[in-house]
Amino acid sequence: MSILQTIKNKVRSRSIHVSYVDVGSCNGCDIEVLACLAPRYDIEQYGIFVHNNPREADVLIVIGAYTHGWEEKLAPLWEKIPDPKAAIAIGNCPISGCCFDRRGSYVDPPVSKHIPIAAEVPGCPPRPTEILNAILSVRDSVFADWEVKRR
Amino acid sequence: MKRTVDVNIPLGPIHPCFKEPARVKCETKGERVIAAEVELGYMKKGIERIMKGRPWQEVMFLAERVCGICSVIHNMVFIEAMEQISGIAVPPRAAYLRVVANELDRMQSHLLANFSYCYTIEHETLAMYLLDLREQVMDLLERLTGARVTCAYMIPGGVRCDIHHEDQAFMHESLDRIETELQRYTGMFENGPMIALRSRGIGILTQEAAREAHVVGPTARASGIAEDRRTQHPTYKQLGFTPVVRPGCDNYARIMVRFDEVSQSIRLIRACLDGLPKGIIRGGGICKAGEIRYSGEAPRGELTYSIKTDEVGRVAEIQIQTPSIMNIEACCHSMIIGADSIADVTATFVSADPCIACTER
Repeated sequence: MSILQTIKNKVRSRSIHVSYVDVGSCNGCDIEVLACLAPRYDIEQYGIFVHNNPREADVLIVIGAYTHGWEEKLAPLWEKIPDPKAAIAIGNCPISGCCFDRRGSYVDPPVSKHIPIAAEVPGCPPRPTEILNAILSVRDSVFADWEVKRR
Repeated sequence: MKRTVDVNIPLGPIHPCFKEPARVKCETKGERVIAAEVELGYMKKGIERIMKGRPWQEVMFLAERVCGICSVIHNMVFIEAMEQISGIAVPPRAAYLRVVANELDRMQSHLLANFSYCYTIEHETLAMYLLDLREQVMDLLERLTGARVTCAYMIPGGVRCDIHHEDQAFMHESLDRIETELQRYTGMFENGPMIALRSRGIGILTQEAAREAHVVGPTARASGIAEDRRTQHPTYKQLGFTPVVRPGCDNYARIMVRFDEVSQSIRLIRACLDGLPKGIIRGGGICKAGEIRYSGEAPRGELTYSIKTDEVGRVAEIQIQTPSIMNIEACCHSMIIGADSIADVTATFVSADPCIACTER
């Protein structure tokens, strides 16, 4: 491994910028993601920063069961994020649609049909520690040696 | 009518200050906002259509998932509406425990709303203090109901689990600590000169405009309208509840009403725990056919369920009216107009505490 790659790995492991997008959830997972910011869980001690700006994000957190309003918006949003990037699905909704995927509803799960999902955190809603754990595991598996893996 | 507009500025649907997707389109002249429009439609899931034709045992869980932040009150209003239809009586101990769960939920929702406002006006220290305080309230809620969010605590004829003796002692101890910290943070907000510059006299919603827009909840009470559905609830009547009203009409008053309501909730929970009657927590009952329109006070305002059931307890028809839609309309028709800068638009929008998930359902 080159020295440059080692430096990149070291820098990337302490600087993850997160953007979150709600594509039609009940809000329960939203507030659990917000709770990660709280001093008790303190997401920033791991070098994870929540900016909610896709153009400077590394990780996109997707919450919700994909409503029709997002059909022309989620894929362009995903393309705006610079490489290397990863999407994490939080909660049951983006994975299976949870209780919303019934006859008569306006949702179209799973989200992995529309953008590539790197990690999934099931739960209705998952606890903040589980969300934190998922972001940290994506950091090691996606961002480490990214240039080597791409070749 | 012809209007001179310099720039049309869209905010959202993904915006650093908004928790949920909504689009606010502002027409500006210079820095001054002359018109605003809210565009919704990013969260429509059709939950009322899913509810139709299902038994109440399923609708009970779906009702909680209308809104995750105020899940307890959605559960409570649906269950109480079913009880009114079927004539099921609640044991007094369960009625008091319902108030405890509901007020804990209101506390965490108000603290989250105030966190969002402080975060939007870039007072991150106070925001983090409030979020830490909210975690302590979430602990109490988890201890009482078994889950942080969407806990399904209430069922027709009572509540799901009892409160233990040691949990009561823990709750009293925590409430004392939360109250001391809350007083400190309220003082920080009340006396902060920089906060006053960003909040006082901004986002004015006069009492007449509030009445015209049918504003509800803390937004109405900050404009001097003493409107609270809790005054008509039998258990709250026993506890001697009076709503918090402030005449300020601006962002500052809206946030202070929420702070006052959190300390009022602490007093209500203490009163409930001290006077908790002994006895069963769960009576029996069968859900019957009927039709009702029933309201309760959510953290954001009046929440109404119109339900029609059939003879086996299935929900034949349901309509939900949630509080945020009126507040959002009042926000873009009255509060935002005349804002001095776009930074005030986001702060004003957040101060009305919009909940897009329950608005669109």
